[in-house]
Amino acid sequence: MSAAVASPLPHGEGLAARRALRDARIRGATFLALGVASFYFASSSFQTPAIFGFRIYTTGRETFEVATSVGLLWMIAGLAAALVGALQLWRGATFRWRPWLLVLLAPYVTVILGALLNGTTANLTRVLSGSFELATPLTLGALAGILSERSGMFNIALEGKMLIGACVSVVVGSVVLGATGNMFAATVAGVSAAMIAGGLLGLLLAWLGIRHRVDQIIAGTVINIGAVGITNFLFLRVLGSSPELNTPPNVSAMQLPFLSEIPVLGPLLFSLRPYVYLSIILVLVLTYLIYRTRWGLRLRASGEKPAAAGTVGINVLQIRYRALLFAGLICGLAGSYLPLATAGSFQMQMTAGKGFIALAAMIFGAWHPIGAFAAALVFGFADSAQALLSILGAQVPPQLLNSVPYVVTIVVVAGVVGRVRGPASAGQPYEQG
Amino acid sequence: MKSLRSLLRRAIVPSLAVVTALLLGAVVIILTDFENLSRIGTDPLGAIGAAVGGVFNGYGAMLTGAFGDPERIRLAFENPSDRTIATAIRPITETLVAATPLIFVGLAVAISFRTGMFNIGGDGQLIVGALGATIVGVGLQTSGLPSLVILVIAIAASVVFGGLWGFIPGFLKARTGAHEVITTIMLNYIGAQVVLFALLGPALRAPGSSQPISKNMSAWVDVPSIISLPAIRLDYGFVAAMVMAAAVSLLLFRTTKGYELRAAGFNMTAARYAGMSAGGSMMLGMTLSGGLAGMGGGFLVIGATGQLTNDLSGGIGFNAIALALLAGLRPSGVVAAGLLFGALTTGGKVMGIQSGIPFDLLFFIMAMVIMFVAAPGLIRSIWRVRVPKPAPEVASVAPTAPAEPV
Repeated sequence: MSAAVASPLPHGEGLAARRALRDARIRGATFLALGVASFYFASSSFQTPAIFGFRIYTTGRETFEVATSVGLLWMIAGLAAALVGALQLWRGATFRWRPWLLVLLAPYVTVILGALLNGTTANLTRVLSGSFELATPLTLGALAGILSERSGMFNIALEGKMLIGACVSVVVGSVVLGATGNMFAATVAGVSAAMIAGGLLGLLLAWLGIRHRVDQIIAGTVINIGAVGITNFLFLRVLGSSPELNTPPNVSAMQLPFLSEIPVLGPLLFSLRPYVYLSIILVLVLTYLIYRTRWGLRLRASGEKPAAAGTVGINVLQIRYRALLFAGLICGLAGSYLPLATAGSFQMQMTAGKGFIALAAMIFGAWHPIGAFAAALVFGFADSAQALLSILGAQVPPQLLNSVPYVVTIVVVAGVVGRVRGPASAGQPYEQG
Repeated sequence: MKSLRSLLRRAIVPSLAVVTALLLGAVVIILTDFENLSRIGTDPLGAIGAAVGGVFNGYGAMLTGAFGDPERIRLAFENPSDRTIATAIRPITETLVAATPLIFVGLAVAISFRTGMFNIGGDGQLIVGALGATIVGVGLQTSGLPSLVILVIAIAASVVFGGLWGFIPGFLKARTGAHEVITTIMLNYIGAQVVLFALLGPALRAPGSSQPISKNMSAWVDVPSIISLPAIRLDYGFVAAMVMAAAVSLLLFRTTKGYELRAAGFNMTAARYAGMSAGGSMMLGMTLSGGLAGMGGGFLVIGATGQLTNDLSGGIGFNAIALALLAGLRPSGVVAAGLLFGALTTGGKVMGIQSGIPFDLLFFIMAMVIMFVAAPGLIRSIWRVRVPKPAPEVASVAPTAPAEPV
């Protein structure tokens, strides 16, 4: 008997296994139905052209165009869905379908984009590089969330920390720019100040949660509401009357040497803002740190089973304080992206829920940096495609398009794409003996 | 006497929390007073004095804006006429008008927190509820029904719409474990977009306006006024808020269903093992919560404003969280804290107009109120007073059961 417990068989007995098999069958049937529906859509849309353009070089206007028809795209998407459905039915409950879902996303997004554009040529280079850009604050926010929750602390306050970071980076950046006229120094000063502000707020959150045993959700809400209040107040009282405090340095795209000259891929991947490269480096570094170092093991132990971690001599509370400090630093960096890289100035409530979408990306990515990055890219693409559609005047009300990221976030958090498990002890206070 | 003493003991932390938060607000006002502070090198005392004077100006304007100007009240006594009385009592009635939606949403937050659901979607539920009332109000314009009948249908619609907006996160939490903080925030944004979409359509929009403003419905439907004086907006919505406070109190503390709701909030696992449906409590609590917030939106849009705008809520949902925590999640406390926050809101707007200190400072003050109420240790160490332990339901609203079954 004990052998069966030690190595759970894929087609084991019991309620759970039967339920898993039933779920797998339903999933497979759903994929198949999606495929059939796609073929139905294909039958009526072979006449609609779908033209996607890519820029070849970062300079100049030459483009290379892929012309096909919406019907053909539906066929491809339908075939892919049917294939995944068949695989699912064949492999049963052992089938790892979640990666396949991401694979399926690509043809479906392409075909929906083509259908919405309805014959207009779309510049995909802009959309795709825009996805990387728009994903950056979400990636950074999600990394901050991962650090906190892996250490066992809920971090609802990403939004507020980003907002404060945005405001601080603008004020400090503008002051240094006005005083020295040096764009680079002003950027560095603004970003550093934003990171320090975020870090301090992270420590405040940790202090409230650990020292004063404030519910971590309430502590986060304090920071979120307080951030809205203080930044709105500063904007109306100070920044409004002295615009010289609201003219921050601008972080523009950086052409990576040699790589940016690769045709098609150069303008797409290698002429983005330094923030994007920095966020990708951070994703890789944090993946290494969390899964391959002693510190990472201790961090994860604090979030999973703090009592056990404490028993073997790990200082759980210190780990949590430090994790929230680092998370705050990253949050501040994410906040500084909004005014310095995109908006060009501070606006009231300019984060517009990005901190919460970042949390959704963290959950979607199963609390893993690389997963969160992939999820952030999906959100970034939704945002970027929405901008394209509204420019091209697709027949969709703008309010509906604006709601898409929020609806996707709810769908993701509700786990329609599959349940993932977070750190077991996140959000629960720990008393060090 | 014992009950009075315990009431006083319970009031220590909330009162000191409000005082401390206002003091912190004053510090922020002084630190951002660059006009005066720039003179600090040449005339330090004068600069600081002027900056502190700015605080007194601002908070003074807040006080008279919320409770009335003594000069005008004297004038009304000496020379009583409709106009002088109206100008004298207008600030205090405006405070009650501002308190009305705050009490509704505060009750909504209290009921959801008692169920263990951290509902921060009050804004969305309020505005979607207001949309429901507006759709009915505008739709029945030419029906010829008496105002009172339209009012009842409109309020019912606001409860249904708001309740639906609350039910969604409750359902998602019960069925999938989706955290209500994220889903309610997202529904706030979606609700704002839905309302914007509805207001920009031809059906509801005010004729001749390109702004997202609905038709003004006060010509054919209105909440009856309590005092019929010119420019006094106080109406029976305030009375309805009182009635709902009593109803919520009865439901939570005198009925079996209310016991089940609170049990789910105290300890989800224990409630489940006692044979109660935790998921059902979540959904019921959130639906009631959304319905109350929606009702607040309905009374607001039919009564005080008469028309729906997309910025109707103005942060009521967030203030209501501070308010409900300040009230210790007790309906009677919600009424008291609602009156206080109504005064702060009305006074804060007057402060913004008269002294140029932006109204948004109040959000910061509210956040500090939440912090001090949630961390009484801070109050203890700042003021050196003995404070009672917080009630357990205030200390923690996080689900006590593991969020996700493996």
